[in-house]
Amino acid sequence: MTEDAYVRMEDITKTFPGVVANDEVSLSIRKGEIHGLLGENGAGKSTLMKILYGLYTADEGRILLDGEPLEMASPQDAIDAGIGMVHQHFKLIPRLSVSKNIVLGMREPSARFRGDSDGLLSALTSARAVSGLARRFTLGLDEPETEIQSLADDYGFDIDVTSKVWELGVGERQRVEILKALYRDVDLLILDEPTAVLTPGEADRLFETLRELATEGLSIIIITHKLDEVNAVTDRVTILRDGEGVGTVETADVDADALARMMVGRDVLFDVDKEPVATGETVLEASGLRATDDRGIDALAGVDLTIREGEIVGLAGVSGNGQKELAEALVGVRETTAGRITLGGEDLTHASPRTFIDSGVSFVPEDRHVEGCADDLSVMHNAVMKGYGDEAFSDGPWLDYEATAEYAERLVDEFDVRGITDVEEITAGELSGGNLQKLILAREMVREPDLLVANQPTRGVDVGAIEFIRERLVEQREQGTGVLLLSEDLDEIFDLSDRILVIYEGEIVYEATPAETSRRRVGLEMNGGDAGPASRQVAVDGGHGESR
Amino acid sequence: MKLDVELTPREQVPRWMGYGTPVFTILAALAVSAVALLALGVSPLAAYRLMFVQTLTTSFGMTETIAKAVPLIFVGLAVYLPLKAQLWNIGAEGQLFLGAIAGSWIGVNVSLPGYALLPLMFLAGGVAGAVWIAVPAWLRAKLGINEIITTLLFVFIAAEIKNYLVRGPMQAPGANFPQTAQLPVAARLPELPVIGFPAGIVLAIAFVAVIHVVLNYTRLGFEITFIGANDEAAEHAGMSKLKIYTVVLLSGGAIAGIAGVSEIAGVQGRLRAQFAPGYGFTAIPIALLGRNGAVQVMLAACFFAVLFVGGSSIQTLLSVPAAIVDIIQALVILFLITAEFFKQYRIDLSLGERPDPGATGSVEGDL
Repeated sequence: MTEDAYVRMEDITKTFPGVVANDEVSLSIRKGEIHGLLGENGAGKSTLMKILYGLYTADEGRILLDGEPLEMASPQDAIDAGIGMVHQHFKLIPRLSVSKNIVLGMREPSARFRGDSDGLLSALTSARAVSGLARRFTLGLDEPETEIQSLADDYGFDIDVTSKVWELGVGERQRVEILKALYRDVDLLILDEPTAVLTPGEADRLFETLRELATEGLSIIIITHKLDEVNAVTDRVTILRDGEGVGTVETADVDADALARMMVGRDVLFDVDKEPVATGETVLEASGLRATDDRGIDALAGVDLTIREGEIVGLAGVSGNGQKELAEALVGVRETTAGRITLGGEDLTHASPRTFIDSGVSFVPEDRHVEGCADDLSVMHNAVMKGYGDEAFSDGPWLDYEATAEYAERLVDEFDVRGITDVEEITAGELSGGNLQKLILAREMVREPDLLVANQPTRGVDVGAIEFIRERLVEQREQGTGVLLLSEDLDEIFDLSDRILVIYEGEIVYEATPAETSRRRVGLEMNGGDAGPASRQVAVDGGHGESR
Repeated sequence: MKLDVELTPREQVPRWMGYGTPVFTILAALAVSAVALLALGVSPLAAYRLMFVQTLTTSFGMTETIAKAVPLIFVGLAVYLPLKAQLWNIGAEGQLFLGAIAGSWIGVNVSLPGYALLPLMFLAGGVAGAVWIAVPAWLRAKLGINEIITTLLFVFIAAEIKNYLVRGPMQAPGANFPQTAQLPVAARLPELPVIGFPAGIVLAIAFVAVIHVVLNYTRLGFEITFIGANDEAAEHAGMSKLKIYTVVLLSGGAIAGIAGVSEIAGVQGRLRAQFAPGYGFTAIPIALLGRNGAVQVMLAACFFAVLFVGGSSIQTLLSVPAAIVDIIQALVILFLITAEFFKQYRIDLSLGERPDPGATGSVEGDL
């Protein structure tokens, strides 16, 4: 299998102080294949790919490209060698337009010097010496918008390339990142958890695109910890566990259970056991809710919503249809422009975030690092981010740091947050995605809220943590909390919800119980009920959707 | 062939770098300043010995240093406290002017015994400093207008108000100099018994202690720290940015105002038109050097006080321009910024072909 390898990484070892991130890992990628790199968070996937992308230098081992040893000191070398990477954390400039972001870093000379126009002036500007100078000293940001727009349309990315990146949702930003790499004409494309922010439909469209690209000879590596993704799109998959290569297998030869065992080292439960719970009194009632997004454009167009004790309400929708705004409005961090919110009969319309918190509302925000924690502060600080004013910790103006540290340790123990030696020393930013999410969940759940709003609680976390988080959500429901679950993972919505709502263009357009509806139907409703763009998506996952 | 400088993001910042930065910064600034001293034909070793050893071993030097340190500690705190919430109070100098104006007005016009007059002066100075920063604070907290610009611009307004007052309403009657009347003895800060240090140092240390305690042991301190670390998450957690921004900026202004009073009542004895010590600007490197805690701010302020006192002694004894102090001060800021950079990037130098310049990625994500 080594003869036809396009890229080979041989016996790569990389140690960080106290951690062996990669221990003699080997990987070979064929031309035109889609190769999955599977492992839990902290298994060493990202490290391995950062070595391949020139961000890290391996302590031992070598990289061969087309049989030639490849020395890379920086990502620039990787880009020159035709290797592109789409990172999990976006590298975009929010103030610039999509197309500007795409051409940025390409170092195109200014249009005047590109020699693509006729005439005397062009004869002068395309002269060798002039163009050499131009390449060095001018920067063409007058991007070929139409070209990029058609590229975006070709790949089925629903993006207006003239809009500014800050106006886009997380899912859309991810698409810009992928576009950026595609525009750069790479031979090997590394995608770091590309579907983490995509809806199932978008993910399927992306997979189709990737398959097309692969047929054209592009090699693709997908870093993932989602098993169904491996099955859906990859040709082969390499599994990493605790920094070691477990093996490479043909995807067709293995099933999800086998992959999960290789990845986690034990059997994993996929289905959450859910006891029926009698729903109690109404916890939250919202009526006619309207709010605007960060740009001041209407995002919610009169949402009516009721959540009762002991039920999980799943809110499905394509990213950017108002779910972020709805979640924020319901926990008091986004100002509403119309409508009423009552919690346990008490009117909380226009109340402060503090009032919502004190009334028993918990919130797991979409972006852990921006809204969920302060990366640079300790686990202890973040554990009591909301509860620091509670009687248990404070006496008059004083804050009892011994008590907060004890409390943080309790959360860490109860929610099995790993990677923490000392809650006052380790910062939130040092935790892996899954562990940070567990910490945030612990903070929001241990206070036994009446209402829990969880926006994408399992996004970007590994299988083990997903299982844990889902179980906790269900447990919380059994204790009588009303839960609003916003997720772009339809399986999650179907597995956990007692009721499913679909939001489309700022309105709740559909409501059903999981038993009386299907993934196909929900997928259709998410796209506004018209069968056009959604049909392909349903064709891909419709089958097993009906059966579960 | 070109010299190729390559920057690599550090995978991990070595711990010693965090603690070593202030020391490294100071040593590097002194080392580079040695070039200036050599250019003047002065032995850096002799100059530095005079600056530091002499200043710290004679009682005159110590008293002078403490006298300088007092206002520097105050203004250092006036910048440090808002900085904890990620706000830059660049205009401590202006708040200091207002404090000095209010303090000297009370000192000259109110007759009370010292134990009542001095506290009243400090109170008035604090209020005046807080009032002076109130507009930038309100603009920042309510409308999000950049406080760096507004606080700085308010310095110039404050300077002109001071210039007007000492030539007009507050000018000493019957005199032609642009200055107020001499403060009465009751309005002068006494010296400490036995050691003879200016009494202002006690107040300065008390403020250091209060701020240390507030930041490290109270809920307010928790909120300030959290808002400084991530204001968006803090708002999600129900903290009020409006409240914290107002509290830290007004407190910063008040402390700078108190610095003005301590300078007038402890050193100057009257407010003069040319009173423009520049402490409010020196406060910025002080707060940066000491940003790890109020006590560190105090140490940084003392270091700068030694520099100032030592600087004037080398000026008199070695005929070195006191501007050398400005040079060291500027270099400290430069090296602080550089040290920050070195903490995040590793630099490799090599000779060879230059690769195409372009975007380099940064390190994020899990292992």
